[in-house]
Amino acid sequence: MNPSPLILDPLILELKGNSLDDGPGIRTVVFFKGCPLDCVWCHNPESKKAAAEISFESKVCVGCNTCMDTCTNNALSRENPLFIDRNLCTLCFDCVDNCPAGALEQIGQKMSISEIVDQVMKDKPFFDTSKGGVTFSGGEPTLNMAFLGKAAKALKEKGVHVLVETCGQFNYDSFIELVYPHVDLIYFDIKIMDKDHHKKYCGLPNKGILKNFKNLHKKYLNGGVTVLPRTPLIPDITDTRENLLAIVSLYKEEGVKKTQLMPYHPLWQEKNLKIGISPVLTKEWSPEKWMAEERVKICEKIFIDVGILLES
Amino acid sequence: MKINALNSITHIGLLGMALQFNLRPSLKKYMKSPDGWTNFTIGLRTASGRVNQSIVFFNGRVTVLSRIPDNADAIMHFVDDRVLMQIIRIPPSEMLNLVLKNKIILYGNMSYLQAFTYYISLIMGGVHERMLIRAQKKEEQSRKILSQNDDPGVPKSLVERKNYRMKGDKIDPGVRWLDDPYLPQYSLEDFPRIKQQYERHVKATPEISSERPVLLTQWYRKNGFDKDNARNDWVPELRQAHAFKFLMENKKTIIRQGSLIAGTCTPEEEGVIVYPDTTGTMIWGELSSIKKRVLNPCHISEKTAKKLHDIFPFWTKRTTREWIRNAYDYPLCQKIDERAVASFNFKIVSMSHTVPDLPRFVQEGTHKIIEDIQTQIELLHKADPEKAESDKTKTDKIKTDKINSLNAMILCLEGLNTYALNLADQAKILAEKEKDPLRRAELEKLIIICCHVPAKPARTLDEAINSAWISWVGLLMENNNVSLSPGRLDQLFQPYFENDLAKITTEKERKAYIEHVLELISWFFLINGEHYNLVPDVANYLFGGSQSQTAITIGGITPEGKDGVNDMTYIFLKVTEMLGLNDPNMNARFKLDVNSDTYLKRLCEVNIITVATPSMHCDDAVIKSFEQNCDKIKDLRDWAATGCVEITLSGKHMSHTGATSINMVAGLEMAMNNGYHPLMDWHLGPETGCLEKDDFKSFDQFFQAFALQQQFIIENTTLLNNMAGEAYAYLRPTPLLSTAIRGAITNGMDVTKGGAQYNTSGSFNIGLADVVDSLMAIKTLVFDKKKIGFRKLKQAIDTNFENDPSLHAMVMNKVPRFGSGSDEAVDMANRVIALIHSCYKSIKNFRGGDYTVGFWSVAQHVAYGSLSGALPSGKLAHKPFTPGATPHPSASKNFLDNIRDVARLNPRYMDNNIAFNVKLVPAAKDTREKTVDTMVAYVKSYFEQGGMQIQFNMVNSLVLRDAMANPENYQNLLVRISGYNAYFVNLNREMQLELIERTEYTL
Repeated sequence: MNPSPLILDPLILELKGNSLDDGPGIRTVVFFKGCPLDCVWCHNPESKKAAAEISFESKVCVGCNTCMDTCTNNALSRENPLFIDRNLCTLCFDCVDNCPAGALEQIGQKMSISEIVDQVMKDKPFFDTSKGGVTFSGGEPTLNMAFLGKAAKALKEKGVHVLVETCGQFNYDSFIELVYPHVDLIYFDIKIMDKDHHKKYCGLPNKGILKNFKNLHKKYLNGGVTVLPRTPLIPDITDTRENLLAIVSLYKEEGVKKTQLMPYHPLWQEKNLKIGISPVLTKEWSPEKWMAEERVKICEKIFIDVGILLES
Repeated sequence: MKINALNSITHIGLLGMALQFNLRPSLKKYMKSPDGWTNFTIGLRTASGRVNQSIVFFNGRVTVLSRIPDNADAIMHFVDDRVLMQIIRIPPSEMLNLVLKNKIILYGNMSYLQAFTYYISLIMGGVHERMLIRAQKKEEQSRKILSQNDDPGVPKSLVERKNYRMKGDKIDPGVRWLDDPYLPQYSLEDFPRIKQQYERHVKATPEISSERPVLLTQWYRKNGFDKDNARNDWVPELRQAHAFKFLMENKKTIIRQGSLIAGTCTPEEEGVIVYPDTTGTMIWGELSSIKKRVLNPCHISEKTAKKLHDIFPFWTKRTTREWIRNAYDYPLCQKIDERAVASFNFKIVSMSHTVPDLPRFVQEGTHKIIEDIQTQIELLHKADPEKAESDKTKTDKIKTDKINSLNAMILCLEGLNTYALNLADQAKILAEKEKDPLRRAELEKLIIICCHVPAKPARTLDEAINSAWISWVGLLMENNNVSLSPGRLDQLFQPYFENDLAKITTEKERKAYIEHVLELISWFFLINGEHYNLVPDVANYLFGGSQSQTAITIGGITPEGKDGVNDMTYIFLKVTEMLGLNDPNMNARFKLDVNSDTYLKRLCEVNIITVATPSMHCDDAVIKSFEQNCDKIKDLRDWAATGCVEITLSGKHMSHTGATSINMVAGLEMAMNNGYHPLMDWHLGPETGCLEKDDFKSFDQFFQAFALQQQFIIENTTLLNNMAGEAYAYLRPTPLLSTAIRGAITNGMDVTKGGAQYNTSGSFNIGLADVVDSLMAIKTLVFDKKKIGFRKLKQAIDTNFENDPSLHAMVMNKVPRFGSGSDEAVDMANRVIALIHSCYKSIKNFRGGDYTVGFWSVAQHVAYGSLSGALPSGKLAHKPFTPGATPHPSASKNFLDNIRDVARLNPRYMDNNIAFNVKLVPAAKDTREKTVDTMVAYVKSYFEQGGMQIQFNMVNSLVLRDAMANPENYQNLLVRISGYNAYFVNLNREMQLELIERTEYTL
């Protein structure tokens, strides 16, 4: 599942303007494709693989069959519940070009840094009035440190506030060298403290992540870039009392004053189907609704009780 | 056999009617009025020719003819035989729908058709009533189904919006006395009298008032209309002035219980004013059914119905519409207009979309205005005594006209003064009877006020507001209550507010005074809100839920360019917040780099609390747009919103901003059909190329065809508008309004004739996104990328895309739309508005002024949409257009794309403003402060990028669906349509669905 770290030019999933949930103010989020982790709850499953993919949304399909006439590899079939046979598909994307409804889509596009900058800069007037800016997210934006650094630098030079959202699995030195100088704010995910659990649910152990966090946070306390640790609340995985208490003790050790909790949201299951992945989770754990308010409150209380502020 | 059958049935029906009227004295009496027998002939025919008959009402006898005589007053033309069969079984409301859908086409005198409908209802009364009750139930049922509502109930968050109120800082330089300009300490609960009046108001059903038409008709019947009793031609201005004076002298003087403001438009609480001199007779056919009609029923007493039936015959030929029909021999432009598909002229209805000079009434008083007029008359008498003999007759005529015009103005002002003094008498009577000493003191104060204003300059805020209101009542007695707008009231009232406060010494008294002012302004809103315009059922479908559209404008800059936001600005905002009324229509101006963020935040917060008001305008873009009509910067800076959103230079500009609307899509459909309009089944336009014969080799060739069709429609609608202007000058000059618009006194000329300093007529042009997206689809898919042939696209459109879902998907998905951030689409939009602008600007109006061009749609984007077929943009047949200058929901998921593209429309082509609708829903998790900050960022960025106007609906579709299904829980849910506010539950169901389906952005 893990992408090759050798990919030079990362693919961009989407540039999403007018985001109000990815940092302060009105923001444009640059979603990178590819992530070193493989979290079971990932709500952007299409961002996991670094390579381009094809997605199919049956709800949008008008059934004109233009795509099947286009495909030279017979990869498309109405008999197939997932519609695309990904073993036969060569990712030529001819069908995508010819789909009138936009039901077939290419996931992941090449974009040059200047293209990204130009598109983000269109939203500059909104950043200025809302104290917003650009957010690099993913996937994992640090997979290609040089690219991220250049994009961040170019935008920061144009007066744009730069935020990086990271899972924390990266090479610290190159992050500090290439990205850190061009960033105003870092959102750092702290998901699971137990290393086995982390491996089980996120695909990799958490040793490197925790080390990166501690280093970055120390720098922050010494006058460096603000780091905000964030925890997604995943029922029975990250929201257990045990895990949250362990996070609290890490924060106490590191002098963390503020964190953000992100209640689980259930949209990801449908997204999985679009890229040809059948629902992966067991029956015991397949929540379909937003997390109940009471449950969120209980989690929040664990942090509030020890005086850690919660960012809304 | 079949031919005879239908003809026979019709014949039997008509004979039955004739028999009843001939034999039953109780019916016969309805054929007579104080003017004598009401004589007219109505023809009925079907397109097939199978039916061709008429019914003749003559001198109290009714006969049926097997033909339609040439002199028939009106003809009902049925496009097919089935429709004729249908009308026997349907209630009047559904019959109107058939008219609107062009299934029944009406030719000729509309008043007589109404009279005929009324006669039918006299026979069918009980049956119709039962049908309407059934229709009402059916309607409720269908709304429940269409709403697809899950019955979530009224959300707590919506109910609680009022309970949280932000604090504000005293930052604006014009705010002198309010420590916290947001006044968060107050709510409606603190003003029990206002609360009581408010609750009565929102629950009330309006009642039709006969006072105005009865008094006026009485005067005209006695003194003549065309000729006076000496058989001399009446000078129209003088005739109108005398009649107005009589009306004001005899008008009932009402002071509502507990009110701090004297005078009302109608004696009835919640009264509908009837203007038989424009469209009053349009209600004739509904006199017995209006109580039970499905949409917005009105009370009407039997007495009122009888009185109106008695006076309507006097007006059958004296309306603007019928005057044109007679004077111009039923011109083509009128025939086009009466189909209401390609254009609709509002001057037929009213000419009062303007902003009168209330400051002059309040600050100088009518005595001073009369003095000025007299001086003007003296000057005229003295002027050029030694002209050459040949010129003399002409000069004398001009002089006499001017003097007549000026004398008419004086008569009107005298009438107004008498009304005020009568109000003082009434206050005295009430004061003497009043037991509560506090209320007695208020009434005694009103005696003093009404003895003083509007004759003399106001000295206090109480006097200023009463002066403005009494003048307003006068203006509404003269001019239709359609979009007449009082303008910048915060600017007018602030000096009085400051002056009153300067006299107060203690903190306690100061607090009490501010509370008094809040109550005073609340009364102003409520007393203004209790007059309604007359809405024939057809208008419920064309302009649903629209009220009088009294636009009040606040904020912006002063004529000198200074910050205009003051204490009264925030008082108006507080009252807007507490009451959340659909009328007055609140419009806020914002000047970049001058007005504060504190002010903008408050505008946003009031929108959140009220859900849909005030709308916001950027002074920078508005002024830029209007420079082409005015070179005086001080006048430009003193602009005020009119009716919906339109620009009027306050108090000196006869702007009739809502003169005429066109359906831009009709021109597009005609361009695709070589001048033929499919729904109208009429080849009305010029032949501009046949698509089926491959006449269009390039996109530009097609655009040229489109341009010629638009030009044809615009030429016709402006021609009709100019005829209507002429009709007004004869039927209904407005000498009182002329005293309230600068220029008319110095020019000695009524404003209906061009006396004002500035003279324009406003157009609003509908279907912008639909037209631009359609043109983009044709350009992109047919000509640039050659994905489909033009003929194939045309076939798909003609069959409503039913056989070609993939083509429909393609136009929906593969075409860069206006609002998607596409430069090409924005260029196309600018090309379209530049075209429309240039068509209008080549034509002058009746008063010698220019036409102004706007892109807002009242509610006609729904009506016009229902009268159009499928479009290249992917819009399906009969579905609504996108409102105003708003992008289509499918343009982009990103609200910023919408904002940016609308901001890039060139204001030079939009000097009658735009309406940009945004449905924005606050997220439950966010604080009020955060929500407001984000909204401020949107609005400010939009303005900074060149945006002109923006308006919000701050409620999600779930709530709207629930309101559609359970209207009883949402009686005062305010929404913004395209420029105006309405209560959601009063809208027709197509409009409700259009609002539900608008793009929704979450904050």
